[in-house]
Amino acid sequence: MPHRRPRLAALLTALACAAAARVQAQAPDGSLASFEKVAQPILEDYCYNCHGDGNRKDGVDLDAFTSDSSVRNRALWMRVVRNVRVGIMPPAGEPRPDAEEEKTLMTWIKLRAFSLDPEHPDPGRVTLRRLNRIEYRNTVRDLTGVDFDTLKEFPADDTGQGFDDIADVLTVSPILLERYLDAAQTVIAEAVPTESRVEAAEVIAGRSFAPVAAALPAAAAAPAAAPAGPGPKAPVFARPAPMPSGRSLDLSYYTPVTVATDFRADHAGRYEVDVKLMAVEKYVDDQFDLNRCRLTFIIDGKAAVSQEFVRESDKDFDFTFTRDWAKGAHALAFRVDPLGPDKPQLRNLRLRVENVTVKGPDAREYWVPPANYARFFPRKVPYFGFERRRYAAELLDSFATRAYRRPVDTQTLGRLVDMATATSAQPGSTFEAGIAQAMVAVLASPRFVFREEPPEPLEAGQVYPMIDEYALATRLSYFLWSTMPDDELMALASRHELRRNLQAQVTRMLADPKSAQFVDNFTGQWLEARDIGTVQINPFAIYLREHPSETAEKALETFQRVNEIPEAQRTARDKADFRSARKAFFALYRLPKAQLTDPLRDAMREETEMDFNYVVRSDRSLLELIDCNYTFLNEVLARHYGIPGVTGKQMRRVILPPGSPRGGILTQGTTLTVTSNPTRTSPVKRGVFILDAILGAKPPPPPPNLPPLEDAAPPGKLRLMTLRENLKLHAKNPSCAACHLRMDPLGLALENFNAMGAWRDTEYNRPIDTAGRLITGEKFANIQELKHLLATKRHRDFYYCFTEKLMTYALGRTLDYYDVDTVDRLVGALEASGGRPSVLLRGIVESAAFQERRPPPREEMASDVAVPATAEN
Amino acid sequence: MTNPNQRTRAQIQSEAMSRRNFLKGAGACIAIPAFTSLLGSRALAALTAGPELATTATGAPLRTAFCFVPNGAIPAQWWPAAAGEGFALSPTLAPLQAVRKSVQVMGGLAQRNAIGGVDGGGDHARGNGVFLTSVRLNKSATDIRAGISIDQVMANRVGHLTRFSSLELCCDATRKSADCDSGYSCAYQYNLSWQSPSTPMPPEPNPRLAFERLFGEGLHGQRQQNSERRMMERKSILDFVMSDARTMQARMSSRDRDKLDQYLTGIRDVEKRILKAERFGPNSDPTRPTPVGVPQSEAEYVELMYDIMLLAFQTDSTRVATFVLGHDGDNRSFSEIGITEGHHDLSHHQGNPERMAKVAAIDKWYVEQFSRFLSKMDSIRDADGNTMLHNSQIVYGSGNADGNRHTHEDLPILMAGGAGGALKGDRYRKFSETPMSNLFLDMADNIGMRDLQHFGDSTGRLGLA
Repeated sequence: MPHRRPRLAALLTALACAAAARVQAQAPDGSLASFEKVAQPILEDYCYNCHGDGNRKDGVDLDAFTSDSSVRNRALWMRVVRNVRVGIMPPAGEPRPDAEEEKTLMTWIKLRAFSLDPEHPDPGRVTLRRLNRIEYRNTVRDLTGVDFDTLKEFPADDTGQGFDDIADVLTVSPILLERYLDAAQTVIAEAVPTESRVEAAEVIAGRSFAPVAAALPAAAAAPAAAPAGPGPKAPVFARPAPMPSGRSLDLSYYTPVTVATDFRADHAGRYEVDVKLMAVEKYVDDQFDLNRCRLTFIIDGKAAVSQEFVRESDKDFDFTFTRDWAKGAHALAFRVDPLGPDKPQLRNLRLRVENVTVKGPDAREYWVPPANYARFFPRKVPYFGFERRRYAAELLDSFATRAYRRPVDTQTLGRLVDMATATSAQPGSTFEAGIAQAMVAVLASPRFVFREEPPEPLEAGQVYPMIDEYALATRLSYFLWSTMPDDELMALASRHELRRNLQAQVTRMLADPKSAQFVDNFTGQWLEARDIGTVQINPFAIYLREHPSETAEKALETFQRVNEIPEAQRTARDKADFRSARKAFFALYRLPKAQLTDPLRDAMREETEMDFNYVVRSDRSLLELIDCNYTFLNEVLARHYGIPGVTGKQMRRVILPPGSPRGGILTQGTTLTVTSNPTRTSPVKRGVFILDAILGAKPPPPPPNLPPLEDAAPPGKLRLMTLRENLKLHAKNPSCAACHLRMDPLGLALENFNAMGAWRDTEYNRPIDTAGRLITGEKFANIQELKHLLATKRHRDFYYCFTEKLMTYALGRTLDYYDVDTVDRLVGALEASGGRPSVLLRGIVESAAFQERRPPPREEMASDVAVPATAEN
Repeated sequence: MTNPNQRTRAQIQSEAMSRRNFLKGAGACIAIPAFTSLLGSRALAALTAGPELATTATGAPLRTAFCFVPNGAIPAQWWPAAAGEGFALSPTLAPLQAVRKSVQVMGGLAQRNAIGGVDGGGDHARGNGVFLTSVRLNKSATDIRAGISIDQVMANRVGHLTRFSSLELCCDATRKSADCDSGYSCAYQYNLSWQSPSTPMPPEPNPRLAFERLFGEGLHGQRQQNSERRMMERKSILDFVMSDARTMQARMSSRDRDKLDQYLTGIRDVEKRILKAERFGPNSDPTRPTPVGVPQSEAEYVELMYDIMLLAFQTDSTRVATFVLGHDGDNRSFSEIGITEGHHDLSHHQGNPERMAKVAAIDKWYVEQFSRFLSKMDSIRDADGNTMLHNSQIVYGSGNADGNRHTHEDLPILMAGGAGGALKGDRYRKFSETPMSNLFLDMADNIGMRDLQHFGDSTGRLGLA
């Protein structure tokens, strides 16, 4: 395969050669001998003060080797690689090996401790991988056009290494199998027509109904005069105008309005009009909206139904009418009449007009092919049995090939055609129903849900076979699109031309809108951006930290005191205290304050996704993800961040004012919020996030029985102590200090951002101190300086981290010792290019790990000691 | 750029609202069919037969359930002051008053394999993953190896008696992305039930799906027909997918074959279900409306899932169930009882009394929900005239003892139900550093699996009777 791993790889090999040659030349053959000759002199100078000569700090001993095999301790050397690479070892302030020495040590580890062969990298083992929920959904959509909500219908996928596409942890439980069978049935039933002609039906979306001008009240959106009444907030009687919601149209209970549209009947005849409505509301705990309205549906000026509605949370309503219509236009209209007197509008009650379906005329002569018919049945069904069988084979061959992502063998095809034929031969069945049945079987097959990756034959000079081109097309497609390969990839694979056109295909795939899936799924997990939709944050608690209130404190104390007394034993005094505390508390509670609303959450997630998307698509330096002078905002988010001049719902790239703390993922709402606790920020979680997601130096878990310290303050003292002071307790305890000195300063640098990511100058009326020092020694005063530091001084750490995350996601497996050299090469190229994402993406796609697989016999031996890829200290 | 695969909060809430509607309509819970539980004639016929698997001495079905709560419990509030019969309930256990005659408090049980030791951190992953497996988990983010869990050991033996071998439920409607506890795969932390060391049985968080799986889709009156149709549809493709799996398997290496084995095991399970459907006839069709989605209110959510478990038992759809009320390490907040901090964060209270009080309030809240479930079980008469609670054995507990310190000895465990008369209630038994797995052996005895000599780290039977 001469086209594989072209120029870039050759260049990388050349770069690595110098050090390799040195190690090869200097080192005797035996591992122990080579250790003593090459590695030990360096370790003696820089490491043995703690990890040799009898010192075994943290259980790490770098000179206790007695045999060749004891030197090949992969787990130990992986720790060395990880800690030296990101500068954790030797510790700040201690002498460090120079670049040359470090390179020699690393090369020795790779060649001798790991016995890697840079000419023939071990591609590693990817277990047979099933589609995860997202991939299944996308694949089914591309294959059939049906959007099947797997997030609801399938059990959650387990994750490993922070990603949900890791082959080993994607298990098939009995319940999932059951769901696969049923999903296949449901999807095909929805997608594939089983009749060749049906009564014509036109679905008129709710939002095609437009207000009839005369019926719109003059003061449509203006609040009516509020009636006098007690209560902290007088109810406001709004008159919301009809509001599109997706394809539907929401009509408020509170607004008199008529909306209408026309249906044009092409033929005279009997028609069926089917109205689909839903009563919706905004959920508010413990408060009920007593407004009512009357809805009238009008056909050609005559009321077809007129019905009164009270609050009917999310209930569906369905009305069907039959009319004999003449050819021409027929008017359909909805009229809402609020039924006064106005009650407090607590739940934004609406009638959602989902759609009106007009079916007809019912005379067979006007019947039409069902929607989707041509997608699955491009020709008319032949009359004769043998022709039908041929047509069935043609249809199923094409469908199964796409579903299995490779050509289907004749035997399987034969069985599918048999199944289709048998089904269509049943009484009352059709040719189409037979095809549909066979398609169900295809979708339920393990060949659909698993990604099989057969190898190409091993060629001369190869140690590991390449996966065949269909498998490569599939890997590419699930990596960059989270879905099945398209026709072009399949066509290239069938001609054996995909590898030859790999770069052009990667470019094409990244330009395709489907690559948004890569952006969403990768950032969603790498940066945990997915969680922004559901993370629990209590805006009131956040507010109180920035606006401390004695009233609230006292009220809370009262609640607590009274709640501890059993209901029956409470005195009148207790009850009165409770009531007045509650009143005072709720007065505060009702004050307007920042909320983490759904539009804000959405905007936050989009900011993160758009930022990543921008850097990848414009091929800008990945370091801009850390530090840059722009971000992506709409009005809601800009207001939340306190950035003026951004209006409207549209998210767009905004150049930030000079000195702004925003720009880059660290100061985006998603990151700041998903790393917070419900009632406050968590500098520890934020610190761990930066170490894990940015610097690739995730600290080990806290030792058992040592819970986090940040809340360890007596209640009275709690308010007097800042989190920083609190966290200082870590430094006092050596077993905490080792890791907390790494994470706490990073998290504390973000303390100017509250748990919802909004800026604040004080907490509990005390100024916030963000200054700190990286474990590698560099000092910073605030988040701007920290970002700058990370992007300039620690940029290699980020490259390593990002490369490993992306590779893990791309390969669907844990990285291991045999990947160290590949990662080194990728990072080398990335650095040389100034951090261009295209270089990395291409490098990964070209790597042996992506292109090849271990041949089965070697897999069977299972000789490799697994080394966890998480950084350890 | 909005991810179309991500359910929005609005969607979740809208489901929740619909579900409230369901609750309102149903009178705040699934009302229980006015006795004559929906038992088939089978169980009644068994009244005259000898001792059987998962059957009480009187011939009624004997159900086993395991209910798991996250993050341990504040020991000082949980444990009653003195052991013995007629003990005084502790503050956390006070809600059990109404059903105390059917509850034993089990002191001194431990899951030693959940203790860190050489594996270091990860007590929540272990607390969860060890709870019903009693084995040491392989510490890995990707190489999952636990053990078969006790509920599945039981299901393998008694599952043929009911439509479903076992039922797995949970109230973890959303999952966090990114890593789970300290280098353990998330599989350990979210799954209680394990069919094999590498195949967890993911619990169902969605009440609608759980209900539909048990009783069929659609409205009351249509469900039997719908589930028969489902069975027919499944049956129609089994041969094909089975042979596809076999041809694929022939091409695979051993590791890959494991994955296909999981697929084939699932296929065989479906086959068994089809055979059972044919043997048992039409499934029961409760008159209740199908739940719509995940409720907004935590209490309603938990109650609904308990109700579904109860209904599954009542209709004898299964005799083995597990219910994860929240996975270990769960950090949800309980605004319904005025607690806005996350449970896990709070559980590391560092001896701070205010935080301890909040954790104890959460512990008590969970006990309240459990007690309500037990009361319902106690109010329903079974085929033999006893209550359903009498004919059940239900473990309730957590995989951590003291959430603050991550201990796994002296776990907070309750044993509820009479196991058909084998178990007593109203007492506080104190054992001394005894494996929890010993309790499982007693429970196995009760359902007629007296030949089960060992499970996990068991050292013998507790001798509960």
